[in-house]
Amino acid sequence: MSMIEAAGVHVRFGDRVVLESVDLAVAEGEFHGVMGPNGAGKTTFFNVLTGRVKPDRGSIRLGGEDVTGLSPHRIAAKGIARSFQIMTLFDEFSARDNVMMGLPAFRARGLDMIRAAAGDRSLLDQASGALAAVGLADKADVRAKDLSYGDRRALEIAVALAQAPRVLCLDEPTSGLGSDGVQRLATLVAQLKGKLTIVAIEHDMEFLFSLADRISVIHWGQVVARGTPQELQRNEWVRRSNLGKFA
Amino acid sequence: MTAPLLVLDRVRKVYTRGRIVRRPTFTLEADLSLAEPGIVGVVGPNGAGKTTLFEMMTGSNAPTSGRVLVGGTDIHAVKYRERDRLAIHYHQSYQVRRFRKRVPSVLLAPSPTATPLVHLFDEPQFNLQDGYIGFMLDFFRKLVSEGRLVILCMHPTASWHLDILAEIAGRFLFVAGGGVTPVADFRSLVAEPRFRLYLGPEMTQAADTIGHGAA
Repeated sequence: MSMIEAAGVHVRFGDRVVLESVDLAVAEGEFHGVMGPNGAGKTTFFNVLTGRVKPDRGSIRLGGEDVTGLSPHRIAAKGIARSFQIMTLFDEFSARDNVMMGLPAFRARGLDMIRAAAGDRSLLDQASGALAAVGLADKADVRAKDLSYGDRRALEIAVALAQAPRVLCLDEPTSGLGSDGVQRLATLVAQLKGKLTIVAIEHDMEFLFSLADRISVIHWGQVVARGTPQELQRNEWVRRSNLGKFA
Repeated sequence: MTAPLLVLDRVRKVYTRGRIVRRPTFTLEADLSLAEPGIVGVVGPNGAGKTTLFEMMTGSNAPTSGRVLVGGTDIHAVKYRERDRLAIHYHQSYQVRRFRKRVPSVLLAPSPTATPLVHLFDEPQFNLQDGYIGFMLDFFRKLVSEGRLVILCMHPTASWHLDILAEIAGRFLFVAGGGVTPVADFRSLVAEPRFRLYLGPEMTQAADTIGHGAA
């Protein structure tokens, strides 16, 4: 069974069709890459997956359950976590506190419980685990705004991981990273691969073609091509382009 | 659906100048039927009326006379925001939706189809570097396999543009001199003197080479 199954997703903003009729299935444990030019509808598709945009037609199933049109927090509670193209961290808080705020148990207590929660050993352990998973164990007490750009990207992923999601959605995780940062992220993603289902929008083709199990190409609000990196590179015109290099 | 995918039934568009004495400044005429699914290349010099032709096909610019039938439905009689359910117009990477609204939408008919039958790509941004070109060509073929009509307008300025047209288009429309001429295949297109004139000597030579290869 597919972990994510989007069928006939159609989204219109006023007169403009943003997603025509998108079908996309992602198997459990798969790393699925989404690529396409700017304005193609990739982020809107993520917004539909995570409940921020309700589709005009079509459905989204998560682990077989219909979650179409549910609010973002209900979908999050069902196990979809995401990172954003623009980082959304609490700058004044430490890395650990940022992760803690992502923990479902912490959220359930309400925001007035920061102090009480800070003393809760199991929550601290969960947060430390998420930070360690992204290589930030020794920076747990550093304020988010004092972290390097690459560390902030990693922290965002830790915040998403802290929710123990079934599906992790990454919106352009390599954007703004230098080659060292991309390498580090690739190592992190390679470690996560297979443990949870990952859907990543990405412009860095080398990153995507080397890591993804399957790739969907979105253009004009439609899935124009899909397949394994090897299948996509079989196309003669793709081989003639720069993408052909990453085979 | 048994109706032809796209019919331009004695379509005539006249642009005029002057309020009292209207003098025609530009006329485009087309009378053709593209009944079957396939990929049609549209070529012709700037100012020949390709954009006007596309606008009429997609329902955004009404003809002065004649009818545009998409799957048997007069697209200019369909509600504005449902016209893209019949024919959709992409310019480069964007979808074009500017309709000249002359009749209130409530007086118009709903679209009988949910997904577009005709897809018009007006100079899609092909870039040989980024590889999307290969995905786009596969996408055009997929649309055709689903029974749709793909209309592809390109200005050939590099020989690989001609490669694409020769590889993918089953037939052509040459737009020039106020008319639209259907052409059966790439070789016949290259043999058309007005097309050769439009291409210029360098591109004509490239087209001849590709045309011989396609034989």
